[in-house]
Amino acid sequence: MHSSTAYFLDSIDIIDYIDRCKRLLRANTGDVKMFDYIWQHLFTPFLRFWFKWFLRHFTGKCELQRICGGYRPGAARTLRAEYSLESSKNKVLRAAVSAEEDKVEECAMAIMKEKKVSSQKDPAFKTSLQVCLMQISGYKILYGSVEELRKQPFDCENNSHETMLLRLWDLLMPSTKLESRITKQWGDIGFQGDDPKTDFRGMGMLGLTNLIFFSEKYTDVARQVLSHSGHPKLGYSYAIVGINLTEMVFSLLRSGALKPHFYNTAFQSPKMEHFHQLYCYFAYEFDKFWVEEKPESIMEFNRYREKFHEKMKGLLQQPDVSLCLTVDSKP
Amino acid sequence: MGLLSILRKLKSSPDQEVRILLLGLDNGGKTTLLKQLASEDISHITPTQGFNIKSVQSQGFKLNVWDIGGQRKIRPYWRNYFENTDMLIYVIDSADRKRFDETGQELAELLDEEKLSGVPVLIFANKQDLLTAAPASEIAEGLNLHTIRDRLWQIQSCSALTGEGIQEGMNWVCRSVNAKKK
Repeated sequence: MHSSTAYFLDSIDIIDYIDRCKRLLRANTGDVKMFDYIWQHLFTPFLRFWFKWFLRHFTGKCELQRICGGYRPGAARTLRAEYSLESSKNKVLRAAVSAEEDKVEECAMAIMKEKKVSSQKDPAFKTSLQVCLMQISGYKILYGSVEELRKQPFDCENNSHETMLLRLWDLLMPSTKLESRITKQWGDIGFQGDDPKTDFRGMGMLGLTNLIFFSEKYTDVARQVLSHSGHPKLGYSYAIVGINLTEMVFSLLRSGALKPHFYNTAFQSPKMEHFHQLYCYFAYEFDKFWVEEKPESIMEFNRYREKFHEKMKGLLQQPDVSLCLTVDSKP
Repeated sequence: MGLLSILRKLKSSPDQEVRILLLGLDNGGKTTLLKQLASEDISHITPTQGFNIKSVQSQGFKLNVWDIGGQRKIRPYWRNYFENTDMLIYVIDSADRKRFDETGQELAELLDEEKLSGVPVLIFANKQDLLTAAPASEIAEGLNLHTIRDRLWQIQSCSALTGEGIQEGMNWVCRSVNAKKK
């Protein structure tokens, strides 16, 4: 008895549609601010309420049930559930988006109780809702841990930080020995001066962790990218461009732009590993992009960085986006 | 002449544009300074590969500030940005004593550049929020600034992190541009 609600327009899709009409109307109205204000405070909640009321009685299911039953797992389903929960008037539903991982089941039960969903009539609902909740709250928790790592500055006094830095060298330059801790050699893997510690800046340990993860998991790819960065004309500074890309992925995470990707690729809650994996994708794809675009010199970096950023943002807006590093088979 | 045409005239006199070059060694704080000038968030800064540019309105001027990366590898590109520069801002990390010689040498080379001849220079003795920072007077002496005779110059201690001293420096910039244009 698979739900047939997928064939109905759901209230969210209707709001989507109205939003499009609204934009048209808005373009033809003089006072845009006033229009937005009236729309936001009067029309949207009002219309949404009545559509939901109508569909609830027509289908006999609440909005969350229609979403969970009507969409395949992934961004399409989780994004709709998130929107539905966040705009709910019910406290239990609103609080569910930031539930801890071990509280998710409890939360799902509470929501079913609030919405009077019986698990006999809709047996798949609880599992689907739980996956949605895991993904939604997991994203928020992931942002918290990424931010924590970012705020941790690279510290020369900290042995584990120093070990990581030296390990980065060994991974990238297996046949060259580092002559000393402070040396011009760091320039060979793209740090600016003779001590990398000042290059992590606003990305802190997140930058170093990303660089290490890439070199560890995809050692050959990382070395290949590094070899491109040594090109006399197209060359760029491998490490600091990497730190720059960490900033790009981080800011996309912060703005919420990575939600579709993580909801599609993380089976349950997205974890730090997923973030690092995405960094690898960015590092590899940026290098490919840079080489293909043939910029005039390294001074053009920010222009191409922006172009690449736009390209990624475009990809991330596609509902079935899944940015995974696939390595070309050629050596 | 009606009120409307007066208004129109006021509106059509655009701000005078000033081209400012922001140079200095890597990790000196140029990008942080640039972001402070533009009132942007400074907590996620990364090393500058290439350059950044921002326009800032200040005291009737439109300041076009070019922040060029300071890494040794890209210093040879600095000269591509010298043309038509109205003001040079040179940023020094006052706590990085080990590189005072290097930064002094780079500054001396810039002041010898033909394309920058006569261009006023403001030196920011940055990172004064750090306990180990050298005072501006010590840096001025070390760089022999008093021997500069061919242009207006000024040294200003500041902290791009806290914003302290930046306004004073920028006031000097606007005054000097005015003096030079008159």
